[in-house]
Amino acid sequence: MAETKRVETAAEAKQNQEYLQALSELLFQLADDDFILAYRGSEWLGLAPHIEEDVAYSSMSQDIMGHAVMYYEMLEELGLGKADDLAQLRQADAFRNAILVERANGTGGYNDNPHYDWGYAIARNFIYGMFKRVRLEALLSSSYAPLAQVSRKMLTEHRYHMMHWQVWMKQLANSTPEARNRLEAAIAKVWGDAGELSDLGPKAEKIVGFGLIAAEAQLRAEWLKQTQNIFAQIGLDWPGEPGSPAQRGRAGEHTADLDQALATLSEVYRIDPAASW
Amino acid sequence: MRKMSENTKNSRNFDIYEVFSQKTVQSPFVHQFSLLAPNAEVALAMARENFLRREPCFNLWVVKRDDIHALPPEERPFLERLDNKSYRETKGYGDLQSRWRRHREAYEARQKQNQANSGSQAGGM
Repeated sequence: MAETKRVETAAEAKQNQEYLQALSELLFQLADDDFILAYRGSEWLGLAPHIEEDVAYSSMSQDIMGHAVMYYEMLEELGLGKADDLAQLRQADAFRNAILVERANGTGGYNDNPHYDWGYAIARNFIYGMFKRVRLEALLSSSYAPLAQVSRKMLTEHRYHMMHWQVWMKQLANSTPEARNRLEAAIAKVWGDAGELSDLGPKAEKIVGFGLIAAEAQLRAEWLKQTQNIFAQIGLDWPGEPGSPAQRGRAGEHTADLDQALATLSEVYRIDPAASW
Repeated sequence: MRKMSENTKNSRNFDIYEVFSQKTVQSPFVHQFSLLAPNAEVALAMARENFLRREPCFNLWVVKRDDIHALPPEERPFLERLDNKSYRETKGYGDLQSRWRRHREAYEARQKQNQANSGSQAGGM
């Protein structure tokens, strides 16, 4: 990577229009990934396999939502709009999350005969989480100092979350044949989308050029290496190269699942955006 | 190395685990609550998010309730003791300072007396 200038504050970032654009693009990827996955997690409330897990998963979804808030607040500081508006009033094509995190939890709706797939919840959280860890570690040396600081804070909490998902992966992989089969089917489904995670979007070259984060290939290689290690420890077959979905979420292309998610999560906010909470 | 299946073989049966937490490295472990889990690893994974979301926590123990052996109610009265063992309580040593003072004063008085005696002997030579 060419030597890059360290940017200490939002005011400083705003002085260079190109830098600001690359930085906001990356921040939207980070924020939207966590926000939409946390929303999917919140849809499990009351539906997780047992009460202890129900509470734990909801609590962690709140944590992840909290990570998204930190990124949206950075965007607000950069003059992109109010954090709440960014989360709840943008159209789907303004979202930069990977397709993996927007997929519905299963068939049916939260209020309409939900048949959610617990194996998919575990596999998605674990595989996304592995990527998130690599990404956060790469962000520790971001040229945008506030982003490096925020990432350091998140890493501790995220490592704890990963302990949780890894325990579940291990349990299901080494439990009954049914649990193992369902987990493997879920991993295959997640894996078909997971290749997009390391995509830094149409502005990737600028994002990397400004030293905001390591290059896609580097993130991807590190993520695959670490994930493969854990698969081996747990005794799971390595699924090989991850696939990519038909749409490119990082470029604002999304599935109908995201429309549904946004319509539901912003329903109350849209009624009266000025209401105080 | 322990086989993975040994860690997970109980997964069909959930057990009650008692959870203890330690606030700081110096604090004692305090019993917090109990939860259901198929094994200790899962119990640890559930413990913090379920009951320690707001409090600081430095370390956790989980113990299967079946592994805790308590006195049955009919034996608990045997824990009572005759009330004549104040010497086992620290308050039995409450007057230690005044005793020390008394002994020191007696010792010093004796020293003084000895010096006075030896002085008078020397003068008499």
